[in-house]
Amino acid sequence: MARVFVSTVIGATPDKVWARLRDFNGLPTWHPAIRESQIENGEPADKVGCIRDFYLQNGDRIREQLLGLSDYDMFCTYSILESPMPLENYVSTFRLTPITDGERTFMEWSAEFDCAPEEEAGLVEGIGTNVFQGGFDSLKRHFGG
Amino acid sequence: MVKIVRSTIIDAPTDQVWEVLRDFNGHDSWHPAVAESAIERGNSSDKVGCVRRFTLQDGSELREQLLTMSDLEQCFSYCLLDTPVPLFNYVAHVRLIPVTDGNRTFWSWECTFTTRKGEDAEMEKLVSEQIYDAGFEAVRAHMERAA
Repeated sequence: MARVFVSTVIGATPDKVWARLRDFNGLPTWHPAIRESQIENGEPADKVGCIRDFYLQNGDRIREQLLGLSDYDMFCTYSILESPMPLENYVSTFRLTPITDGERTFMEWSAEFDCAPEEEAGLVEGIGTNVFQGGFDSLKRHFGG
Repeated sequence: MVKIVRSTIIDAPTDQVWEVLRDFNGHDSWHPAVAESAIERGNSSDKVGCVRRFTLQDGSELREQLLTMSDLEQCFSYCLLDTPVPLFNYVAHVRLIPVTDGNRTFWSWECTFTTRKGEDAEMEKLVSEQIYDAGFEAVRAHMERAA
């Protein structure tokens, strides 16, 4: 089982960051690597179990299913159903936690998946740096960090 | 039941912060409220179940018992056994999480307790400001001195 964990500090309160992140269909509005996204079968984006079908800027297509969403604990968990990446059993969670001594947010983003041993280092680096840290950098540009 | 959650970012890797915090008998070396600390019965300070006896700056004493200690998760929890102030059923949790973006530390310190009727606000302020926030600042200063 391969694991990715990255985390950052964002210069806004968690409720503001959550308002931007909770939309499971909203990746194109905040993540620079995502071009377009839609929820299958016209379902609402906060219906647990819904599937998003989205395209990266490079044309790759990914389908992901919403497994858990909490407005109370401010976390979102999802799995990959289809992607061009050589991995299986991918489950990822991001979570927001208040930093109480100032209006800031601690954001964690982690993933677990199975893959061939020779693919692991590249996948961990690509997901941790390009996808997760790329999202952090975009949020920090928007909110400060 | 009062619940307090306080957190901060320390500009050092979690391993360095954990080295300071994991010594359950070492809080007198950094927390301004604690004058002296000793572990009862000569136990080691990382023996889960050990009891520390604090003498505070005003001379009063309190006793706390270590409930959990994890070097893997970098967390510990403890409860109050005897205290000069009306804090009852007090259980606290301290947890460090890496901030990979900048190699820093997210430090969360939280607790729940009950108190006498009408004293919730006063006890909440005491714990959150004089213990937790003051502790954050003290460790920040301690780490800077050590650096």
